[in-house]
Amino acid sequence: MLQGALAGLAAGGLYAVLAVCLTLMSRLVRVVNFAQSATGMFGCYVAVFLAVHLGVPSWLATLAGILLGGALSAVLGWIVATWLAEADTGTRSATTVAVLLLLISLAFILFGNKPQPFHPLLAGPAFTIGGVVVSQVTVLTVALAVLVALACRAVLARTALGVRLRALSERPTTAELLGIPARPLSVGVWTATGVIATLAVSIVAPSQSNDPTSLAMLVVPAAAAALLGGFRRLDLAVLGGLVLGMAQGAVAQSDRLSVLRYFLPFLVIVALLLWTQRKEVWDAAR
Amino acid sequence: MRLAERLVPFAVAAAAVAVGYALSVGLAGYFVYLGVSAVVAAIALLGLGVVTGTAGMISLCQLTFAAVGAFVVSACNVAGVPGGFGTWLLLGGLAAAVAGVLVGLPALRLRGITLAVVTLGLAAAADLTLVQIQFPGATEGLSVERPEAFSDDRSYFLFAVLVLVACGLVVHFLRRGRWGSSWHLVAFSERGTAAVGAGVRTSKLTAFAVSAALGGISGGLLTGQVGLAFPASFTAIQSLALYVLAIMSGAHLIDMAVFGALLWVAVPELLKRWGVPQDWGFVVFGVLGVQALTGRGNLGTAVRALWYRRRSGRTAGVGLTEPVPDVAPLPPGDPVLEVRGLSVSFGHVTALSEVDITVPEHGILGVIGPNGAGKSTLVDAISGFLPRATGTATLGGRPLTGSPARRARAGLRRTFQQDRVPPGLTVGAYVRFVARRRLTGRELDGALVFFGCPAARTPLSRVDAGARRLVEVVGHLLAKPRVLLLDEPAAGLPHEEHVAFGRRLRQVPARFGVSVLLIEHDLDLVRSVCDTLTVLDFGRVLASGPQADVLADPAVLKAYMGETELL
Repeated sequence: MLQGALAGLAAGGLYAVLAVCLTLMSRLVRVVNFAQSATGMFGCYVAVFLAVHLGVPSWLATLAGILLGGALSAVLGWIVATWLAEADTGTRSATTVAVLLLLISLAFILFGNKPQPFHPLLAGPAFTIGGVVVSQVTVLTVALAVLVALACRAVLARTALGVRLRALSERPTTAELLGIPARPLSVGVWTATGVIATLAVSIVAPSQSNDPTSLAMLVVPAAAAALLGGFRRLDLAVLGGLVLGMAQGAVAQSDRLSVLRYFLPFLVIVALLLWTQRKEVWDAAR
Repeated sequence: MRLAERLVPFAVAAAAVAVGYALSVGLAGYFVYLGVSAVVAAIALLGLGVVTGTAGMISLCQLTFAAVGAFVVSACNVAGVPGGFGTWLLLGGLAAAVAGVLVGLPALRLRGITLAVVTLGLAAAADLTLVQIQFPGATEGLSVERPEAFSDDRSYFLFAVLVLVACGLVVHFLRRGRWGSSWHLVAFSERGTAAVGAGVRTSKLTAFAVSAALGGISGGLLTGQVGLAFPASFTAIQSLALYVLAIMSGAHLIDMAVFGALLWVAVPELLKRWGVPQDWGFVVFGVLGVQALTGRGNLGTAVRALWYRRRSGRTAGVGLTEPVPDVAPLPPGDPVLEVRGLSVSFGHVTALSEVDITVPEHGILGVIGPNGAGKSTLVDAISGFLPRATGTATLGGRPLTGSPARRARAGLRRTFQQDRVPPGLTVGAYVRFVARRRLTGRELDGALVFFGCPAARTPLSRVDAGARRLVEVVGHLLAKPRVLLLDEPAAGLPHEEHVAFGRRLRQVPARFGVSVLLIEHDLDLVRSVCDTLTVLDFGRVLASGPQADVLADPAVLKAYMGETELL
């Protein structure tokens, strides 16, 4: 059980990082980005392609992939900020659904639908607790999740940039009238989450089932984690990701429960919704 | 005329069957097979048209429901359930509907995007699970038996067309009925839906269930086509593609669902012929989907515009110039709506404090006050949209509690300051839905004419903002509530129409048997309509009583009128 839970922690760290990205996007640019992990997946696949087929050194290829992930996200953000500036969250998010489909299909075309020979960035154990080995990947992803969440919080709470971002998210039109450059800031948020997501996927992908679909669908457990924080709280998003990863790891240990592993994110989402829906909320004010 | 109109859907259905028969006989064998695939996709798209196109929810697991249908059909085949393929198909649809309700139930009370997250989660999980458990009979290679009369490919195509036509008819009539109106309304405004006494959850769940049932039927049909169900036909990615296709083809229209299905089959087929990998099909759908969502217009409306041309682009407005025969107003009776000690605070801001309001039977109470005085908050609180409000309200002596829908059914209706009228319906369909009772044509037309509204057949998308507000008022009046709360109903009207509107409003208690609480800025209108007035200022009642007394009150003059307007 413990063995499985700790093994699942690497995935949990990845969920947590993606959940932080989703929360940021939801808070700052009013979108649930269904293409969040697909962007990361695409960046990674390009990196693998560069490394395996063109012989680019793997650190350089990975860097190129991460930059590409950021650029993809930036383009998408630019489209949304330009054409859907006034649209509601639903429409903005639906656009990312179309992009998710687009990226998975493109990955099939360019790289095939089989897992790729990822070169692990990190390998080997970091330390052992009670006879259970914790890998370097686990340590790094968990640290990354916590760090990203802390950094985002610090930026939002302490810096002038953070104040502008929050103003933009709470009252976009007012903020724009005050002279805050809405579009560049939104595209900046998209770019940053694209880079972070690709980085996280690059670290974990070699040790995961890494066909395009699986990597793109990582957005589901990430969304479950983000939902724990109501798509608003970063700390709960991180916690949700880690717990979900460990739970999946623990369940995967048992053969009889292994199907449950797939449904775990879904069940978590449904349970959280049941819990949070106790209070009646109405749509748009008056 | 009306009979002819009613026969139109059946005529279209008969024509569709005839075309289906001709195709089943005339097409080459391979195309007949592709045709079945198109019909299967069309039924799934019809379902998405209901949930996404009409009710405005994002559902990303349509093929998971199809898999439920396929599973039931396969299981029935293995178990040899009596009734044959047709019965199994219906059972599959039913099972999928149940699954839809179970999935939708927790997600539906939270708005918008959560349903998309839930359905994508389900699609991803079901996808992986199906690969592991497989469909019943699949490992043994136990082929599903088609209906006896339709066992070869050509006749099975005809069978599929018959199923599609039946589904199309059901969707058409559902959309014309009460459920359909509620789907349109809930997509446009949940508050508006609750305010007419329709349950927001019921509206969403019925849309979701109907959509899932159609998905289930399409899955069952697919099983009959192939003989065996395979997980590869029901992947999450295909569900995503189908959703995007529904958006870009505008599948809330039945003909566009069929058009989308043709694309679904034709695009990969054409790519195959041109030697392009078929995955490019989904890339094409993805690009067109982004295009459609970013408001550059979708393919469906473009095709439709070519097909139908624009019949008339003119918008309809209000015509209140015709004089109406006067009806003697009834003397105000006992209090019918009594509100005592109503307080509302948002955090530290007190929006209303200890407000008392009384609306008499057959009377019209005007509520006036400067901006921010709490007038709309008052309406929200009384109609149940602010559950944390304190104080008591009674309607006809009974305590008024519970959700907005419950209060609406108890006889308290309200209108909104902002437009809550869904553009997808006609004036008549909307009014009938809001009234929530059987209306005669004369009653409906009479009320519309009385308020100078456009004719019942006019689509609401072609009615201007001011007239839409009045259509809303007409609907609520025809519901015959005890009390109707009107939140600035004249706001969208040209100024000269205000007084004419006031004259009609004055007759509302006598004509419709409804007492009115009117919030209005236009003092001319208030003076001509209201017997009694309540003045709010900073959330408190400043003065209350007969119109003349209140308007002469020095405190009211000072606080509300300021120095600029003299009475």
